[in-house]
Amino acid sequence: MNNLKIKKLYALSSENKKFSFSLPLSNKIRIGKRDYVVSLRSDEKYGTYILWKNRKYPVEVVRSRQNKYEILFNDISYTFTVETPFSLKRMKMLSLKKGKAELEVIKAPMPGKLIDILVREGSEILRGEPLVILEAMKMQNEILSPVNGTVSKIIAKPNTNVMKDDILIEIKVK
Amino acid sequence: MKIKKILIANRGEIAIRIIRTARTLKIKTVVIKTAAEPNAMYLSHADEIFDYNEETAEIPVFLDIEKLIEIALTTGANAIHPGYGFLAENAYFADKCLDNKIAFIGPSPDSIYKMGNKTIARKIALANKIPIAMGSEGNITNEEEAIAIAEKIGYPVIIKAASGGGGRGMRIVRNIEEMERLFSIASKEAEKAFKDPSVFIEKYIENPKHIEFQILGDKKGNVIHLGERECSIQRKHQKLLEEAPSCALDDKLREKMGSTAVRIAKAVGYYSAGTVEFLLDSEKNFYFMEMNTRIQVEHPVTEVITGIDLIEQQIRIANGEELKMKQEDIKLKGWAIECRINAENVQACFAPDPGKIENMQLPSGPHIRIDTGVQPGSSIVANFDSMIAKIIVSGKDRKEAIKNCKLALDKVWIKGTKTTLPFFRMLVRNQKFLDGTFTTAFIEKDLDKYYYNSEYEEMLAAWLATKLFVEENLQENSIQIDFENTKNLSPWLLNKRINQF
Repeated sequence: MNNLKIKKLYALSSENKKFSFSLPLSNKIRIGKRDYVVSLRSDEKYGTYILWKNRKYPVEVVRSRQNKYEILFNDISYTFTVETPFSLKRMKMLSLKKGKAELEVIKAPMPGKLIDILVREGSEILRGEPLVILEAMKMQNEILSPVNGTVSKIIAKPNTNVMKDDILIEIKVK
Repeated sequence: MKIKKILIANRGEIAIRIIRTARTLKIKTVVIKTAAEPNAMYLSHADEIFDYNEETAEIPVFLDIEKLIEIALTTGANAIHPGYGFLAENAYFADKCLDNKIAFIGPSPDSIYKMGNKTIARKIALANKIPIAMGSEGNITNEEEAIAIAEKIGYPVIIKAASGGGGRGMRIVRNIEEMERLFSIASKEAEKAFKDPSVFIEKYIENPKHIEFQILGDKKGNVIHLGERECSIQRKHQKLLEEAPSCALDDKLREKMGSTAVRIAKAVGYYSAGTVEFLLDSEKNFYFMEMNTRIQVEHPVTEVITGIDLIEQQIRIANGEELKMKQEDIKLKGWAIECRINAENVQACFAPDPGKIENMQLPSGPHIRIDTGVQPGSSIVANFDSMIAKIIVSGKDRKEAIKNCKLALDKVWIKGTKTTLPFFRMLVRNQKFLDGTFTTAFIEKDLDKYYYNSEYEEMLAAWLATKLFVEENLQENSIQIDFENTKNLSPWLLNKRINQF
C-alpha cells in the first residue's frame, strides 16, 4: 500500500459516526455554503486550543495509539479511529465476517479498592446484575453487567486496589 | 474568651473561605501542611502554617483529634474551625476542644450528638411534632427485621446509616430481593465510613425535592432562619447544583417550613450555623430528613441572597455574641445558583478523574463569585474530595441567574482533568431545569445525556484527530503506517507538536 495516493480520510467516532476529510487536509471546513476557518493554536495563557468562529475551545490529546485518538474537546472526550478508504473497506469486511463481539471485558471505571466480587467463574448472569463492589473516593459502587452471559474468567481479587481500566472480569456474551 | 487565632482543621476552598472572613475580623489563622498536598493553595493564604510531616500517620491529620488539639495548643490558637467534612460533625472533637479551653466554631457537642445520630434526631422530631417520613423506631440490626419493617410501611424504603451523612451507607430498596442484597452493603458501608454499622429504615419519598433551611442560632437561645436552598440536582445523594431560593416555595410555605426548622433547632438548644434538610413531595408535604450541624458546601448561595456572611456569624456566635438580626430583618434578594465544578468524568458515570490542573481561567464579574482552593499547577488528589471550584452566579430572578450562569460556564477554562462543566452546560439548557419542575430523581430518570456539546464540536474534534493522523503517518501523500508500532503521545506533547506545523 506504499505510495498509494490517498484522497480522503475518515474519522470514525466510537458511536460509528463518520466524518470525512479530503486530502491535503484543509483548515477550511464547509458548512452549508460557507467555508469556516479552523485553527489549532497555543499560547501561554490558554495552552492549546482550537479557534472556530471567533471562539476558543480547549483541546487535549488524551491518548493516541496507532490510528486511534482520544481527544478532549471543550471538556468532552471523543474517541476516533482515522481510516483511509482502503482500511475502512477492510474493516467493514472484517466486521461482517466476525459478527458481534463475543467476549465482554469488564474494566474498573475508576481507580479504587475492590471490596467484593459477587459472581463466580461459570455464573450465569443477566444484564444489570451486580458483578463487583468497588470503593472509590469513599463511595461503594456496584458495577453492573452490561450484557447477558456467563462469567468466563475472574481476573481481579477482592480486597485489592485496582487502577482505572484494569480488567476485572470477562463475560462470554450470550 | 475572645477568639484571636483560629486553627483551621480543614483544607481546600473552605480553608480559604474561613481565612477570608477571619482576616476582615482581624483574627489570625493557622493551617496545616500535609504530605498529600505540600503545595496546596490554602497554605499561602493563612498567617501561619503548621508543618505536619508525619508521613507514617495512619489517619489524615484532619481526622486526628488528639493531634489537632496538640497543634492548636502549640500554635497558640484559641479556636478551631472544622469547616465541613472530616471532624465537623464529631461531638467528641467539639467536646475535646472545650476541655482544652479552645473555642469550637460550631454548635455544642450535645447538639452535634443528638442531630448526628439519626435515630435520636428522629425521636426528637417526633416528640416535637415535626413531620417525618414513616420508618423504624430505632436501629435495625439484621435483614429479617429490615424486611419485616419494610413490609409494614410498604416498599420503596430507604436504608440510612444512623451516624451517616453525605449519602454514604444509604440505599433505596424497592423489593424483598433488593433488601437481601443491599442491607449488608449499606451496613458495611456505614461501618466503614462512620465506624458504626447501625442503620434504620424510612419510607422512601418518591421524586421529592430536596429543600434545606439555613439556621442561625446564638448561645442566648435566639434562632432564626435565612431562607431555603434547593439542592434537588444530585446524583447518588451527592449535590451538584444548589440554588436559593427555591421556585417550589411561596412565602406561606417558606414561613411554615422555616418556622419548623427553627423549632427543631431550638429543641436541641442549637447555636451556630446549621442546616435543616427536608424532602418536599409533589403535594407540597414536607418531611424532616436530617440536620447538618456545620457550615455547608453550598452556604454561598444563602450569603448572596441575604447579604449575611455565615462564617462571620459562626465566629461571632462562638465568641458569645448575640445575633444582631431578627427574623423580620431577613430579606431574600434576587437569586443565586452554585455549580460544583469537580474533577469528574461525566461521560463515565461521574467517576473521579484526579490529576494536575495544567491551566485554569475563571470568570469574574458583578454576578459571579468563585470559591476555589486550586490554581494552575495544583493537583486534585485521590486522598480528598474532587472539588475544583464552586461557581456562584446571581441575578435579579431565576431566569436572569440562569442566563448569567450560562455565560459564566462558557468562560470557565480548565485543562488537566475532566470536569463536571459539560454537565452544567447541559443543565442550563434543559427544559425541565428551566421550568423548575425537577426532583432528586432528575439525573437518573430525566436525562439520557449528561453533557452538552454544540453542533460542530464533535466534527472539530474529528478534524483534529485527522490532522494528527496526517502529521504522524502521511508524508507527501504517501502512506507509511506502521501498525505494529504503538505510539503513546503525552497529552502535553501536542503543544510541542503544533509548533512544528
